[in-house]
Amino acid sequence: MAQVSITSLQKSYGSVDVLKDINLEVEDGSFVVLVGPSGCGKSTLLRSIAGLEAVNGGAISIGGKRVNDLAPAKREIAMVFQSYALYPHMDVEKNMGFGLRFAGTPKQEVAARVAEAARILQLEALLKRRPRELSGGQRQRVAIGRAIVRKPQVFLFDEPLSNLDAALRVNTRVEIAKLHKLLGATIIYVTHDQVEAMTLADKIVVMNQGRIEQAGKPLDLYYRPANTFVANFIGSPAMNMVEIEVTGKNKARTLAGGELGVPLPARAKAGDRLTLGARPEHLTLGAPGKGLTGQLDLVERLGEVGYAHLDMAGGGRFIVEVRGDVKAKRGDKVGVVPDPAKLHLFDANGKACAS
Amino acid sequence: MADNQQIEMVGMNRSAYLRVLAFFLAPAVLIYTLFSVYPLLATIFDSLYLRHEGGALTFNGLGNFQTLLTDETWSKPFWNALRNNLIFFIIHMCVQNPVGLALAALLSLKQLAFRNTYRTLIFMPTMLSVVIIGFIWQLILSPLWGIWKMGLNAVGLGVLFGPYLGQEHTALITISLISVWQFVGIPMILIYTALLAIPDELVDAATVDGLNQWQAFFHVKLPLIWPTIGLVSVLTFVANFNAFDLIYAMQGALAGPNFSTDIMGTLFYRTFFGNQLQLGDPTMGSTIATMMFVIILMGLLVYLYVIQRRIQRYSF
Ligand SMILES: Nc1ncnc2c1ncn2[C@@H]1O[C@H](COP(=O)(O)OP(=O)(O)OP(=O)(O)O)[C@@H](O)[C@H]1O
Ligand SMILES: [Mg+2]
Repeated sequence: MAQVSITSLQKSYGSVDVLKDINLEVEDGSFVVLVGPSGCGKSTLLRSIAGLEAVNGGAISIGGKRVNDLAPAKREIAMVFQSYALYPHMDVEKNMGFGLRFAGTPKQEVAARVAEAARILQLEALLKRRPRELSGGQRQRVAIGRAIVRKPQVFLFDEPLSNLDAALRVNTRVEIAKLHKLLGATIIYVTHDQVEAMTLADKIVVMNQGRIEQAGKPLDLYYRPANTFVANFIGSPAMNMVEIEVTGKNKARTLAGGELGVPLPARAKAGDRLTLGARPEHLTLGAPGKGLTGQLDLVERLGEVGYAHLDMAGGGRFIVEVRGDVKAKRGDKVGVVPDPAKLHLFDANGKACAS
Repeated sequence: MADNQQIEMVGMNRSAYLRVLAFFLAPAVLIYTLFSVYPLLATIFDSLYLRHEGGALTFNGLGNFQTLLTDETWSKPFWNALRNNLIFFIIHMCVQNPVGLALAALLSLKQLAFRNTYRTLIFMPTMLSVVIIGFIWQLILSPLWGIWKMGLNAVGLGVLFGPYLGQEHTALITISLISVWQFVGIPMILIYTALLAIPDELVDAATVDGLNQWQAFFHVKLPLIWPTIGLVSVLTFVANFNAFDLIYAMQGALAGPNFSTDIMGTLFYRTFFGNQLQLGDPTMGSTIATMMFVIILMGLLVYLYVIQRRIQRYSF
């Protein structure tokens, strides 16, 4: 049974539709990560699940119970905010126990649960401090502790790591993954960070303009993006795309005129326009005249691998992963040869063609 | 050491640096000295002298203060004014500041339409001249043709009407409430600003923790705006013990009826400048002014050393 299930969810602010027909199933104990460009409605979706925003249509159920009309505190969720939102006038212990104390939980039980959370998050030494006497990472842990103490069915995280520096972010990411295993909790997590999404998620949900573009396992999204948006969004550097015209069976040419042999779907007819996508690691540089043609602009060296940036004939830029030396110099014409087995094809609407 | 470093940092030698310092500090120091420090010192100085008929001055030590506090002719009006002033202050603290807080809380509600209009309207009286305020309220409360009376009659509460400004037991309260009406915009704006500074996510967190709007206000927002409320209180205290104009405009220098609205400011005015048959007495007036200064100073010290130290300021 799905722990959180969202059907036909709609939300608008006045005449602006922010969430349009969201359908999402979150399995019990799974870690779901919402990604998408800024303003696509991730926070709004999370806040709707939490009950902080009233929705205009659709249903949200948590643990099989419809919660649309329940107050946030009754939904058995806990939320960790981007700014942590710790109460500045309470020490760590009070911050963590506030919700429980307010709900009238017996004192010993509150103390026990706070102590337990503090032990898990190694906050024991900080219990008597105020939030302003804590570092960013410590505040983050307190915010998570406040969530744990509530023993919720579902944890909601809204970009919890975005205020931390790079090193701490990696650490905390690992901590959160461990915590997920330890508590076996269901987590819905919003982030901008691809690495966070790929490493933490059981399921990634890619959103765009208030819709879900695709939801699936991280590697599924990487290897089988459902449309050009997901293909572009997942993976860094992004997938290279070029428009092609079908010329015959398994034959196509780019609009600039380069001939290509690509495995095309059976129903592709000569004259169809398709979008060809190839990830940087599935392209190799070759002699000019082979495959697609481009002009080398620069090579970024990251150590073991490098990325060659090319200006393509017919417009657009490609990024090709290179290993070892690149003979060509800036301004040289080079050929770009795709690995036919690893290509992606999208139809005129941007949907992936079934192959 | 640090000094020298600073001078080096601005790239000047010592005397040039001092000249620049003097150039920028002098205007403020001069003006402040001329209009604040000198009058204050002169007042305190004056309060130590006794003025004889004909204008001769003799040093009297703290004698004037003794007269003011113990001699029946002086002490009765003094204690009366002090008591009235305290009542005036207490009414402001109990009405103006809670109402200002409530208005600020209402204004900070997101659902409220026409917020800016309300804010401007409520703040408006603060910017009006006291003379206009006094005049308007005298018209409203007039026993002959005031609309207050008509209003009460219209809703069948005519029995509650009285000549509020003319009765000893109601005049001070009435004047205080008019002053509250005039100045309620100030605590409102200060507290409203403090409330706006509280991040929304904090209230969201409280909501997830099970608090409703009302509880979130008392358990989360209110503790965070205590510093502002403290500041508002001390501003109220200073303003109240310096008050004069509204009473002078509405009840005259005699602060009638029968001195029932007499506060420190009006008492000082009559003593220093004289009124009707009473001759002006600058040294006794200075004594009263010095007492006002001491009272306000004590209030400020209580605020600075007792209250402000206990309340914590928060940054978000
Ligand atoms: N209170 C509001 N009134 C009107 N529009 C709003 C309101 N809150 C959010 N929006 C709009 O809803 C859309 C989605 O906002 P949301 O905060 O969910 O985006 P997001 O995906 O979380 O973006 P980010 O990654 O930048 O946090 C945005 O276009 C935003 O302008
Ligand atoms: Mg957001």
